[in-house]
Amino acid sequence: MRTTYLGAALVTAAALTLTACGGSGGGDGDKAEQAAEVSGGNTKPGHAIVLDRPKAKPDLVLTDTDGKKYDLVKETKGRPTLVYFGYTYCPDVCSLVMSNIGIAEKKLPKAERDKLQVVFVTTDPARDTPKRMRSWLDGQGGKDFVGLTGDFDTIQAAARPLGILVEKPKKEKDGSITVNHGAEVVGFSPKDDKNHWIYTTETTADQYAKDLPKLVKGQNP
Amino acid sequence: MTGPAAGARRTAAAALGLALAAALAGCGGGGGGGDDRPELSVSGAYVPQPPTPDMAAGYVTVTNKGGAADRLTSVTTPLAAEVTMHTTIGTRMKRVASLKVPADGELRLATGGDHLMLTNLTHKPKVGDKVSLTLHFASSDPIEIKVPVEPTTYRPKD
Repeated sequence: MRTTYLGAALVTAAALTLTACGGSGGGDGDKAEQAAEVSGGNTKPGHAIVLDRPKAKPDLVLTDTDGKKYDLVKETKGRPTLVYFGYTYCPDVCSLVMSNIGIAEKKLPKAERDKLQVVFVTTDPARDTPKRMRSWLDGQGGKDFVGLTGDFDTIQAAARPLGILVEKPKKEKDGSITVNHGAEVVGFSPKDDKNHWIYTTETTADQYAKDLPKLVKGQNP
Repeated sequence: MTGPAAGARRTAAAALGLALAAALAGCGGGGGGGDDRPELSVSGAYVPQPPTPDMAAGYVTVTNKGGAADRLTSVTTPLAAEVTMHTTIGTRMKRVASLKVPADGELRLATGGDHLMLTNLTHKPKVGDKVSLTLHFASSDPIEIKVPVEPTTYRPKD
């Protein structure tokens, strides 16, 4: 039972993590290819996964919580950036992840905190209005976090090359909603604007607090 | 990775359980033990403080010392108009009608796995508050517990 549970939790964290942990149990088949690009076989749960081959920042233009156009590549150029794809009707992992980052970010010196961009991209644009996202982000210490919404297909297309699984929430016959989504935080270096680091739901606020000073300088944690 | 930590976690859960013991009066699992029926107790329950006032998650561990399995069929609370149970398989989070409490085992709700979703809250619960939850089972009597509201980033020690 316990093993089953832990296995499930890890799979939830990300198939990426599983592989990095030495891969007990499998994620969904379509995730296997994503895992292949992850370095090392000994990353501890919650520690940054450092990519052997950094990935480009997606060309993503969406709307922020002020209703203004936000061009991810332009706005975050040369800045350390964390991007998280999630949704506010997610009381389980999404608020945990954002709150952890919110706590860690506040431990940075002000100059570094100003450099760091934390960007939340909704995977549920049908329900996540800019106003709702703003109050959700503010409610967990993310007053300076950027919240983005827009066309679902655009969001999904931006997440895919990063290896983040994004699917439309599916309404079941009983009225309940099934959501299938990856929960990784994607970190981009200020040096080359590429995605070098991935964090999972296992990552604690302490871990982020330890790593952020390095990420801000473009160093591997 | 589950071995030595498991005992410690169980101890921590048990300690939390003690704190809640006063609330466990409704526990129907006592009364000594035939192996043919469930004997349930609840521990380690908490509600993380939600970022918005409309919904929250809830976590509990239901331990079954009996020889028969049971099922958690619903949860009620004055805090929320509705409590639904969700399970996470892989990256897929979906609602379920019940969750199994295995014989001589436990149902452990936790972040990233099985969890309760409290919706249409009467108010936003804050750290330090207590939330009353009543757990209803297929065969055992309902168990009422008072659950602490913890910080959003709270994780049970393991």
